[in-house]
Parts: sequence; structure tokens; C-alpha cells
Amino acid sequence: MCASVKYNIRGPALIPRMKTKHRIYYITLFSIVLLGLIATGMFQFWPHSIESSNDWNVEKRSIRDVPVVRLPADSPIPERGDLSCRMHTCFDVYRCGFNPKNKIKVYIYALKKYVDDFGVSVSNTISREYNELLMAISDSDYYTDDINRACLFVPSIDVLNQNTLRIKETAQAMAQLSRWDRGTNHLLFNMLPGGPPDYNTALDVPRDRALLAGGGFSTWTYRQGYDVSIPVYSPLSAEVDLPEKGPGPRQYFLLSSQVGLHPEYREDLEALQVKHGESVLVLDKCTNLSEGVLSVRKRCHKHQVFDYPQVLQEATFCVVLRGARLGQAVLSDVLQAGCVPVVIADSYILPFSEVLDWKRASVVVPEEKMSDVYSILQSIPQRQIEEMQRQLFMEPARRENWSAANHQMNSLIWPREQWDSQIINDRIYPYAAISYEEWNDPPAVKWGSVSNPLFLPLIPPQSQGFTAIVLTYDRVESLFRVITEVSKVPSLSKLLVVWNNQNKNPPEDSLWPKIRVPLKVVRTAENKLSNRFFPYDEIETEAVLAIDDDIIMLTSDELQFGYEVWREFPDRLVGYPGRLHLWDHEMNKWKYESEWTNEVSMVLTGAAFYHKYFNYLYTYKMPGDIKNWVDAHMNCEDIAMNFLVANVTGKAVIKVTPRKKFKCPECTAIDGLSLDQTHMVERSECINKFASVFGTMPLKVVEHRADPVLYKDDFPEKLKSFPNIGSL
Amino acid sequence: MQSWRRRKSLWLALSASWLLLVLLGGFSLLRLALPPRPRPGASQGWPRWLDAELLQSFSQPGELPEDAVSPPQAPHGGSCNWESCFDTSKCRGDGLKVFVYPAVGTISETHRRILASIEGSRFYTFSPAGACLLLLLSLDAQTGECSSMPLQWNRGRNHLVLRLHPAPCPRTFQLGQAMVAEASPTVDSFRPGFDVALPFLPEAHPLRGGAPGQLRQHSPQPGVALLALEEERGGWRTADTGSSACPWDGRCEQDPGPGQTQRQETLPNATFCLISGHRPEAASRFLQALQVLAALQEMSPARVLALRQQTQFLWDAYFSSVEKVIHTTLEVIQDRIFGTSAHPSLLWNSPPGALLALSTFSTSPQDFPFYYLQQGSRPEGRFSALIWVGPPGQPPLKLIQAVAGSQHCAQILVLWSNERPLPSRWPETAVPLTVIDGHRKVSDRFYPYSTIRTDAILSLDARSSLSTSEVDFAFLVWQSFPERMVGFLTSSHFWDEAHGGWGYTAERTNEFSMVLTTAAFYHRYYHTLFTHSLPKALRTLADEAPTCVDVLMNFIVAAVTKLPPIKVPYGKQRQEAAPLAPGGPGPRPKPPAPAPDCINQIAAAFGHMPLLSSRLRLDPVLFKDPVSVQRKKYRSLEKP
Repeated sequence: MCASVKYNIRGPALIPRMKTKHRIYYITLFSIVLLGLIATGMFQFWPHSIESSNDWNVEKRSIRDVPVVRLPADSPIPERGDLSCRMHTCFDVYRCGFNPKNKIKVYIYALKKYVDDFGVSVSNTISREYNELLMAISDSDYYTDDINRACLFVPSIDVLNQNTLRIKETAQAMAQLSRWDRGTNHLLFNMLPGGPPDYNTALDVPRDRALLAGGGFSTWTYRQGYDVSIPVYSPLSAEVDLPEKGPGPRQYFLLSSQVGLHPEYREDLEALQVKHGESVLVLDKCTNLSEGVLSVRKRCHKHQVFDYPQVLQEATFCVVLRGARLGQAVLSDVLQAGCVPVVIADSYILPFSEVLDWKRASVVVPEEKMSDVYSILQSIPQRQIEEMQRQLFMEPARRENWSAANHQMNSLIWPREQWDSQIINDRIYPYAAISYEEWNDPPAVKWGSVSNPLFLPLIPPQSQGFTAIVLTYDRVESLFRVITEVSKVPSLSKLLVVWNNQNKNPPEDSLWPKIRVPLKVVRTAENKLSNRFFPYDEIETEAVLAIDDDIIMLTSDELQFGYEVWREFPDRLVGYPGRLHLWDHEMNKWKYESEWTNEVSMVLTGAAFYHKYFNYLYTYKMPGDIKNWVDAHMNCEDIAMNFLVANVTGKAVIKVTPRKKFKCPECTAIDGLSLDQTHMVERSECINKFASVFGTMPLKVVEHRADPVLYKDDFPEKLKSFPNIGSL
Repeated sequence: MQSWRRRKSLWLALSASWLLLVLLGGFSLLRLALPPRPRPGASQGWPRWLDAELLQSFSQPGELPEDAVSPPQAPHGGSCNWESCFDTSKCRGDGLKVFVYPAVGTISETHRRILASIEGSRFYTFSPAGACLLLLLSLDAQTGECSSMPLQWNRGRNHLVLRLHPAPCPRTFQLGQAMVAEASPTVDSFRPGFDVALPFLPEAHPLRGGAPGQLRQHSPQPGVALLALEEERGGWRTADTGSSACPWDGRCEQDPGPGQTQRQETLPNATFCLISGHRPEAASRFLQALQVLAALQEMSPARVLALRQQTQFLWDAYFSSVEKVIHTTLEVIQDRIFGTSAHPSLLWNSPPGALLALSTFSTSPQDFPFYYLQQGSRPEGRFSALIWVGPPGQPPLKLIQAVAGSQHCAQILVLWSNERPLPSRWPETAVPLTVIDGHRKVSDRFYPYSTIRTDAILSLDARSSLSTSEVDFAFLVWQSFPERMVGFLTSSHFWDEAHGGWGYTAERTNEFSMVLTTAAFYHRYYHTLFTHSLPKALRTLADEAPTCVDVLMNFIVAAVTKLPPIKVPYGKQRQEAAPLAPGGPGPRPKPPAPAPDCINQIAAAFGHMPLLSSRLRLDPVLFKDPVSVQRKKYRSLEKP
């Protein structure tokens, strides 16, 4: 209240001349001032409370207030860019350290304003785009504010456009950054490199070892595996939202929308238009637009006016021709519009070409073949064009994916800055890198397609044999019979008994049948059905035979033949009795079928061969709550396994031999009709449950089974390899 | 006056107090713009500038268009890129045509055989004028024979200098605009997108065929070492999962002890091998620094599985022989020339690889028999029957009716290949019937006729005899295995110790490795492979010894799929009564074919034996089961 005291000191000189009536004015005035002061006083607290509840960790200040740094004329200048730089020579991976999430950490230098000795500024402090870019980094997972933990450093010196900066002074500003160290691990962003008259294809600012994310690299300046090629930002793409347009033919076959083309190129294009008529459209600047119309949003052909970039959606192919610079902003517009770009820019390094398969989304035509461009495009089959168009649509999809964190920036380019970080991330942690397919396959293609984990065609040698895994609870007598029977199979190499009974110890060692292969007993912690599909360390062979402790009817020939069949189909489930799923039109749901049909889509795992990798998948990668469902219901583990394998491989099961069911000698007494029916209902329920969890019905129906080559042929039995193939 | 003065003082007071207010208020406003020091520990992101809206764009609209000047030039005259140093105008027409400079003076056996292999390939042309690429082999480092500048050199334009082995000749001439294909090129001299990097080939690398990959199982064996390190003098050291006790901070206190690593002379059985290029001594430091082990342990089994299989595929497809390396190099260059009709990356990177998936056939993966699952597509539900009518030339009326009766049959093509005149009348069929007048050559049977409209082909001989349900069932099976051949009659190959060569038998045995193409389903792509990828000599062999054609076709499919064919059931009595193959083997009246010789010639040309045996037959689910015939869909298959 120091101010009011001051007022009162001044006050007494006036008071004697005051009349009561006037006093009211001053009291009112004072109250106003007082009120004002209180208000301003409150004002001092009020905005802070707002700030701390919202963005308490983000500074709010003006760009004009950034600290000014004076650069002496003789301060050091970095070396010119080192063209021989590669990740292993110029990049310090040790700074990137171990990070459990395999994400590199990026630090951004604070913004400063650089002036020379005369106080003249070196460049514009920061452009709108560069500010947004840095904001995007700062909001991403890559950002760190701890300079000591950072692996990549991003200067806040804006070099997006070389024309707006003073080259020597900018380089001096770089050199005095606190961790510059010859530019090691520093990342610069530049979109408009070079300047008249020769337009270099990379930023001319000396930058020593700094990485450059540049738009418009040529093969001469691009350091393969070191620099990152980025697209040139188009302000239009950020402003305009174009409706999605599916693949298919468009009104124009070929369209050129660029203004300011070199006259020679324009002549070439116009010659194409003359030759091919309506299907080619060459647009130019509009000269006679009425006042107030934004000329960047219009293009003209003769007197016809077109909206830009909307017109791009009307064409199948759009020309992206180089100017003095190789990188053209029109590429972004064309991609956004879903028009297949025809890139005519010799030696241009397309954006993100390190990871993106541009062959799938663009056509690159050499400059000297520009006059043939029409016939080159015509020779592309329609289906391939549609595939390219589909590939373009994946771009927006991915964009959303990447920009989830900063969706308010609905621009084409900024999320891609995170791609840059991802690309460099991939180089530093190559073992955790995203694969080429993951970068390039649209999610739409992924749907319905499979990538088989066992894709290599390979017939494992017979000598490897298989491991039989017997799941048992307490039927010791039956178990011993199974062990004795299975041990007669020549290719058995190990027998594993999974003892699922926690209340009872397995029989003593001396009581077990003596067999020719190692026999191991694993005790489980809980009586769960999924224990049978656990990837036990004891499994040394690739082939696993899952077998119940009551399956004693399978002959040795039958089992050996099953193993031989598995060797020819190591990525499939190979089993004996087959089952089928059917669509019940009345109930509108799936139904389980065990009748003797001409088709199979599942095999029972009471006895089935499969690759041990599926044990790993079943235990650790089973979708949804299927595993818990199986353990809770104590049923359907075999259906779950059939779903899993069919889903991941896209292939059907192989049913071997005529076997139709496992006759269980002990259960003849209770094998009643009602029990059978509840069983069927429960199994049908499983199929419906699993289909909903998988979101699809992965099972494949086939009409064949595998038999020995000479099965039931008129041929001497004693010459057959598998004479005793068993009955139904 | 008084009131005026009073009013004046009033105004004075008013303005003074407002001035105060503004001053104070402004001060606090200023404080608002400059908030107090950031709290320690709070994360400081990039600031949200109050005046961000006022920032200017990095480029003003008027600034973007520039007039084109001459294209960017190489910084130094010596460097090349594809556009500036390769003249594609010479490559119009049917793809890459390669001329190879003949060797001067005495040459080694390897050199001669490589020349022969290129000359036998589909790329070869004998005239340098018609060639789009001129190939200069630079091989024989140790013999001291260095090639001199060739005649058509033209500053190296459209030339490829192929250096298969290191320690090349001292450069006798400037390479100029020639592309260089060599192993381990240096970063400084390698021109990406122009030169080709080759694998390092040992002197003893097989010329063709090559040993298959040594992977015998998909997943790693439990208990084998995780990592093997290359050491000096060609030794190997294995490290186990237990030896990664170093924290990830760039240094380890000590080397993994000898108790945890073992030294070995030969390549050990380990899941991963660390190759450190030219600096084996750096390997162990590298290991410490990057904590390779930790990284590998983190890797999921799914990824290890995929990597293992991919190594085998790459080895088999591109690395295992000198011939594959050379053909891959040429294919890479051809892809650059083709531009839009080059191999999509999927074809390069998944089995069977770009050498066996010809881009001249198609650039869409779904046209090939190999990628249905990856593409999420299915083979179409129709087939074309291709009936070959050789001598004596009876129109196969019964066969046509049986095949046309199948609901899956889309068309019937009759390939008339004998001296008798074409019959003018053909039976009425539900599907279109086309007659092609052939060239009387057996290899015509596998020509990619443009009239074939379906993916599936049922290849038949006029004397084959099939029933409609046999055709239906076999086609359904083919749809499950579209990359394989599905046939009715089979034969086998075996190693004949007595003659030291491969033998061939058509006797009924418990296994088979070939199906006869006189009655078999397969994908139409194999016609393209047969006609356009086989060396000419092999196709001539098939024409001269017609029984060889079966063997040859089976070799091609097996070499591509690395899988045996599939047998489906076939009516027994006809099998014994009417021979399917003309002059086919077995107890037939005709003399046995010169098959053993033929199989050995073909195996020699392939460089290895691709055939694999199968011990199973695919039958209908209820085949010959003691259940009611009414239940069975393919009951006529079982008729005695």
C-alpha cells in the first residue's frame, strides 16, 4: 500500500480548498484506485493459479524477450559438412546409452537471438514451422530436458530456409552451442537449401559432423545412412482438409499443377497435352483473378479456373517436376490428394527413402524421358495403379498414428519429424528396428493377410525325432500303457510327462516303465489345462506330440506316419480325428461338428504333432482372455490351439489316417447321449467365444487327409512302409 | 473560475491516480509475461510462445517457385549416378541384354565357366552393339592377367566391371562411368544406387547350385551358445547367456571370463555370430560397448525365428553360388532400367526371391503362386485344361468330356502337335475349347500361351484318362497348395551307387519325388519359368528326349518351392491298363526312356539335386472308410 501513502502525502495541499461536496469525488476516485489496486493485486495471483492448474510446467513468454547473444566477428566457424560421415564414424552412440524402451533422447537448446558486432540480427529468430516442429519434438517420447542424458541435440537456430539467414554468422552461432563438439550428434532441419544462382542441394551453412534432415538432397550431397531426406513442407496441405477418395480411375490421367516451371519443361508438358487431349491437364498461375481471391489456392488452364489443391484429386498421376531445387512442396500436396506422384527430378533423394518403398507409391521418370512420360504411365497395369493409390492412403493413416500426441497440428509434415527420430532410432538400435514391411504395409493389407512365423520351406531331418508330452492327473495305469505304446515309435526322442496333480506325488522312479528314450516328469504348480502347451525347457526337438494319458489305440505305424507328415508340413497342426466348424443359419452362430463329414477344419490335440514354437505362442501370445477361459472351463484347449495356429499361419490342419475318434475304454459306461450333447454345446460355445476374441474366423476348411502313398492300394502289405495304419 | 480550478484539480487527481493504476497494473502485467523462475525439478518443454500466432512462415508464398536451371552437377567430375552415367535408351525392348567381353589369352577354369554361365543365361547377347550392358570380368587376381582397356569402352558408359575376388589388378585404366560390382566397397568410393556391393566370395565358392543352407530346424536348439565372436586368425569364441554382466554404460569392468567363453577353430553352433569386418581385434571391445549380448537376450523368440529363416532364404536365393551372385547383380541393374516394372520389394525379400519370381511375368505379387497368404488372397476357383495331342494324333474326345464336366473348368486348350491335319469337328462342350497348332516340339507343352486365362493349369496328354471327380478333388487340393504340382502318377529319383549317379524309377514305392506332367495341376507361372528362365540347352534336351520333360518340370518346381509335389488318388485299374506317359517308364511295351542319363544331365545343369521325396498321398477325408457311400462326396474315386 505504499502507493496510497504517496497519494496522501500529495493530498494535503489540495484538501484545504476542498468542499465536502467535492470530497465525494476524491473518495470515489480513491475507492476506484483502491479497487483498481486490489484488482491488480488479485490479478497478480489470479493468472498464476490458472497457469499452475493447466500448464504449470510450460513457460509462457514472448519471443521478443529471448536472450540476445552477441557473436564476435572472429568467433570460430565449423568445418564444412564432412561428406564421408557415417553413423559409425561421426556419430557417438555411447551418448545414447541403454534405454529400456529403446528410444533415443532428444534435447532442444533454448531459443536465443543472435546478433553480430553491430547488433544486426543474424536471422529471423524462429519461423512458425520451426517452432511447431520443436514443439512436436518436445511433446514426443523422444524429448528430454536433461542435456546429460541426451543422445541427439537439436539447435533452436532456425535454418529451414537458407535464404533468410546469414551463412557465416549462423555457422558461428552453431559453433558456440554448449555441446557442439564439431556437431557430433546434432541434428539440423532444412527444407529450402541452396540459393541462386547454383542452388546447392544441401544446406550451405558449414556444419561439420552435424546430421542434416534436409528437403531436396541429391545423390551427390546425401550421405547414405547418415542424413535424412525429408519432404518440403507445404502450407496448403496443413490448411486444407481433402475428402478421402478411394482407388479407381479419375477424370484426368496426368496432371501438372506446378507454377513457375522452367519454360522448356512447360513446353514439353504442353506438347503432351496437345498430343493426348483431355486426359492430360497442364495448369499454371492465374493471371486474371478478381481481388481478394487467394492466388495460391487457384490454378488456371487458359481461362478455366480450378481450385487447388482439390483439383489434384481429379487425376490419377500428378507431375512433381524439379525446379532449381530438387525438393518440391507440391509432393506433399499430391500425396495428400491421393494422386500418384510422377517424380521427374534426376538424382533426387525421395523423402525418407531409407525406409519408405517409393516404388510402391510413385513413378520416377528420368528427365530425359519426359516426353515419353505418357506412354511409360500407360504401360502400368490398372491394378498396380490401384495398389499405389492404396499405398498413398496409408500415409494419412500412419500420420494419425504418429501424431496422436500432437493431433492439434493437423499438418502433413510435423509428425514426420518424429519419423526422423524413429529412423535415427532404428540406426542406433538396429536390433529393435521397425522392419521394412512395418514401415510400408498399409494396415488394410495386414488385415486378412498373414505372415507365417515358419515361412522358410524346410523339411526337418527325420533324425531329429519328436518329444511326446503326456498330460496326466492320476490315471497312472493308463499313463504307463501310453508310455509303453509311444516308446515303440522309432522317431520318439524324448518323453515328457506333465504331472498336473498337486495333491499326489508321481510314482517312484522304479515303478515307471523302462523305455529306450529319456523320460522326464515335470510337476506343475496348478492343475491347469494350458500346462500341456507350456514351452518347457526340456523340449529339445522342434516336433512335439501332444498326447492324452488315455490314448492307447494309436498304432506305432500310425504315430510314426503322423511324424513323417508333420515333417512335410512343419507349420501345421497334424492330428488324427478331424472336427469341423459350421455356421448355424438358424441360431446365427458357429457350431461344432463331430459327425463323419467330408471336411475338416480342426484336429483334436488328444494326439497331434506340431512345432514347439506354437507352445510359446499359446503361452505368451494367445489373444484376449482365451487362455483363462480354457483354464476356467477345463475344456477347449485344443480348439484354442487350432485357432491360434490357423490364425498365425493362414493354413489348414492336416488330418492323417482314417481315425475318426479316440475310443476311451474306461468311459464306455458313462458315454451317454446327454453327456455328448452338453459336450457339443460347450464346444460350440468355445468356437463362438474364440471367433469373437480373434475378431475373425481363422479356421480353414479342407476336404483332404493324408494317407501313406500306398494306403489301401492293391499292393503286397509286407512291402508297405506303414502297413498297420489303424482303424477308425 | 473557482469551479474550473476545482475541476482542473479534479482532473489532475483523476489522471494521476489512473497513471498510478496503469503503472502498477502494467508492472503486474509485465510480471505475468515473465513468470517467476521455473520450479526446480519440473520438466521444461519447448515454451508455448505467447506471440506464436505472429510468427512468420519460413517461406513466403511468392518465394517457393523458382525457375529451373541446369540439373545439379556432381561436385567432382569423377562421381556418377544412375541418371547421369547410364544410357537406358539402349535397353529398350526385352529388358537387359548383356554382352561379355571375351577373355584374352589363357584363362582359368572358373573364368571360363562364369563366361559360359552368362552366355547360357537369358540376359546374354553376342553383339556389343545390341547390348545394353557390357560386362567386364575382372577375376584372376593371382594369375596376374590383367585386362586392358576394352574396345567399346567409351569412358566406361553402360559398363559393369565385375570383381568377384579381392586384391584386384592395379587399375590399368580409369573406370570412369563404369559401374563397379565388388565385395566390401569403401564408403568413399561406393556410389549408392550406381555401384553394386557383392558378398565376399571365397576362391572355392561353387559356380552354380551351391550347398543349401545348413539350417536344419526353424528355431534354435536349446543349450547352444547365443553368440559367437569372430577372432583373429579365423578362430571363433562363443559366449553364453550368462556372460553379460556388464551394465549398459559403455564399459565393462573386465572381459567375460574364460570360463564363460570357449575358443574354437570352426564356425560354432551358435544362434548369432558377431562379424566385425576388417577389425577382428575390435570385436571384444565392441561387444563390451554395445552390449550385444544384452540386446540379443532381449530379442523375442519370434524375431530370432524370423531372422534365422531369413538368413537361410537369402543364402539360398542370392549367395550360395557364383552364378547366383552374378545373376543377382544383373537383376539389380535390370530393376533400375525397368523402373516401374521392377520387382516389388516383397519379391526380393521373401521366398523364392527375385531370381525365381520373374518381374517380366508380373509385378503384382498376387499373380505368383507364392504370396497368396501374405497378400491375404486366394487362388481363383477355376482352371484351364491344356491337352497335348502328340502322335499318333487321336482327338481325346472322352478326356475332353470328363474334364469339361468339372464345375471348376474354365476353358480347354488343345495343343495339336503332330503331323496329322487338324480335325475340323470338335465335341460340343460347356466351356470354350481352343485349338492351338503347335510346333511339334515337346517344350511347346510348357509355353506361356496368352490364351491361358486362369492361374491353374491342368496339364494333360491325349492318352491320359481321368474322371470328373478325380479332376475336381485334385483341383481342390491344388487350391490348398498352389505353389506345388498336384499329380496322379508319380515317379522317384534315387542315388545309384553302382553307376555313381542319379537313377529314376516309376515303380510304385512308398515314396515319390516327381509327378508326371501328363496329368497334373500347377500354376501357370511355371510355364513362364520353363520357357524364359531355363538355359537353352536344357530346353533343347527336353525336345530331343521327350521323357525328360517331366523330370525337367519337376526340377524347376522343386528348385523354386524346395518342397516335394503332391499325389492324389488315381483309379487303379486304369493305372495299370493304359500308360499315362508316352514311352513312360515301368512295365510298358515301349522301351524304357533314357531317363537316368537325362536326370543326371539336368542335375548337373542345376548344380544340385532339388528333388525331395514325400511319403504321403492326399485322399478325400472319408476315402475308403467303411461308412455309407451316401456320406461320401468323392465316391466314384473308390470304384474298383
